[in-house]
Amino acid sequence: MGNNYGRRRPKRVLKSLAVYVATIIAVVFFMFPIFWLIATAFKTRAQAFSTPPLFVWEPTFRNFIDIFLKRQTEIEAITGQEIELATGAEQFFYNSFIVTISSIVIATFIGTLAAYSFSRYRPLGTNTLMFFILSTRMLPAIVVAIPIYFFYRAVGLYNTYHGLIMLYVMFNLPFAVWMMKSFFDEIPRDIEQAALVDGSTPWRVFYKIAIPQVLVGLGATVGFLTINIWNEFLFALLLTERSTRTIPVMIAGTRGEVGINWGLIAAIETLYVLPALVLIFVLQRYLLRGMTFGTVRGAR
Amino acid sequence: MTRVEIRGVKKSFNSLQALRGISLEVESGSFTALLGPTGAGKTTVLKCIAGVERPDEGEILFDGEVVNDVPPWRRNVALFFQTYALYPHMSVYDNIAYPLRERKVGREEIEARVRQVAERLRITHLLDRKDPATLSGGEMQRVALARTLVRNPRVFLLDEPISNLDAKLREEMRLEFKRIQRELKQTIIYATPDFVEAFSLAQKVAVIRDGEIVQYDTPSNLMRNPKNKFVATFIGSPTINMLRGRIRRLENKLFFLCGEIRLFLGDAGLYSSGIEDGAEVEIGFRPQSVAIEPSGEDNVLRARVMSSEFMGHETILTLDIGPSEIRAVVMGAARYSYGDEVRIGIGRGSLLLFDAERGEVIR
Repeated sequence: MGNNYGRRRPKRVLKSLAVYVATIIAVVFFMFPIFWLIATAFKTRAQAFSTPPLFVWEPTFRNFIDIFLKRQTEIEAITGQEIELATGAEQFFYNSFIVTISSIVIATFIGTLAAYSFSRYRPLGTNTLMFFILSTRMLPAIVVAIPIYFFYRAVGLYNTYHGLIMLYVMFNLPFAVWMMKSFFDEIPRDIEQAALVDGSTPWRVFYKIAIPQVLVGLGATVGFLTINIWNEFLFALLLTERSTRTIPVMIAGTRGEVGINWGLIAAIETLYVLPALVLIFVLQRYLLRGMTFGTVRGAR
Repeated sequence: MTRVEIRGVKKSFNSLQALRGISLEVESGSFTALLGPTGAGKTTVLKCIAGVERPDEGEILFDGEVVNDVPPWRRNVALFFQTYALYPHMSVYDNIAYPLRERKVGREEIEARVRQVAERLRITHLLDRKDPATLSGGEMQRVALARTLVRNPRVFLLDEPISNLDAKLREEMRLEFKRIQRELKQTIIYATPDFVEAFSLAQKVAVIRDGEIVQYDTPSNLMRNPKNKFVATFIGSPTINMLRGRIRRLENKLFFLCGEIRLFLGDAGLYSSGIEDGAEVEIGFRPQSVAIEPSGEDNVLRARVMSSEFMGHETILTLDIGPSEIRAVVMGAARYSYGDEVRIGIGRGSLLLFDAERGEVIR
């Protein structure tokens, strides 16, 4: 036994060493673009363009100051004109936050209710309806881009927050319904039936018994929608002008005074990915809390 | 304190017909057991009474009032789920307190009642546990039982409530159920696949099979006069002995023939339905009614002892009687060992006669 133990030990050390090395390589590979993005945000124009690339330099906060204090110029997406914007980046961050948070709240709220009734009450034609909901995602979004552009101009939804929010809710509701339904489907029916017998009305069962058990799924759904909506570019480009423009479109249009100022763009992008990174980090810890299923002796 | 009546209840789940027309009357304050194998429909009956499943056909009445359209949260019944169905996001205390809170019972009364029921079920030490998923099977069952018993409902519906407890606790719980019924005059409907449990607790037992009530009677009647072969074989331990053979009618006397065995059944006039000479039948007799070395001369057979199991108070003998093996129970420790030859007597009064084809009893 002791002999065996002695022989196996170096092997195990070697194995875990290999795993560590592989992990480090993977992390470096995937994190390097983000590192370079953040690094560039702290570089002057000359430093950003230097060959060989600079790994050690004196960081500058100029770009971050410029984002907010300097008026930005932008190439108008449709007409191609170069125009000077009336505000700094704060307006665009504000727009992105308004649109993203509203869309997530509405889509998650409606999606959760729809998913619960599909899962529990199985109304007539549930399967057909669920497929219909999914089928709205089968067409590439760009196919409907032109009709929606004209439609939005015609009915006055163009360049409005609620217009963009409506569109995002519509596009993301299928994900919300399908994801939440699969989580509701996992809750044993007996638990909810027990609550009904214990004196709870169906509404109370929904928010006192069902919702607490799908918090993990709710977190996952919110995380998923955040990534979708915060990063959406195509429709934001088509349907917004200066007053409602979101960050992804703003970044694409940002230019410096003389050519492209990569430091400036990197700075905006750094601030842009920050909320997403924080949210994912928070939700990841939430997801790790694990599933609560298993209090039941087995389904009937 | 409620009389429960079920009239012609049918229920299907997709293509599966769970209940095929169940009718049952449970007197107010009585203890009734639903006895049947897994999948017989016991759980569905209880869920229909509780209102969480809606019958496709038929009516459910509480004290003569149809409650089909009364939603479960207004029926005021307590249901113990076979799956426990604990609320996984609540502490043990909150699980037990939940039905009281939903009924707006005062804070102090909730506390008092939860503590009381927890004490009776020996789970006081578990009340502070945050995550019921980490409890053992027996602990979960007791918490779920506490959540059911903490209430004061019109009817208690218990679906295999003590299957996962150890023997001693099971005995205590049986006494507890009887106490609830006797002292609180509560109506209890109790589902179990275990006939000993059903017989020891209930005044009347409904034997259920494939979504139908086969027989609804007192335990002693079920034991003495089973309606068919299913009831006869489902109750009793060890299982009733069954032999298949033919009827031989000599003048006015009926005999049962099976290989070398010939048993006298009695005068043909004893049986109301005419039994033809040569009819194929099965006879059943309980292991307890087999007499070893009988004094009488009636229906005596030679048998060889195949095995002998001492159970503490009695001994179960497995005997070879030629065409098949049968079981016999003798009190105390028997002195027989493998290969011993014994004489056994099968009393005429204890014989049950079944139609071989349909399994119905012939009287």
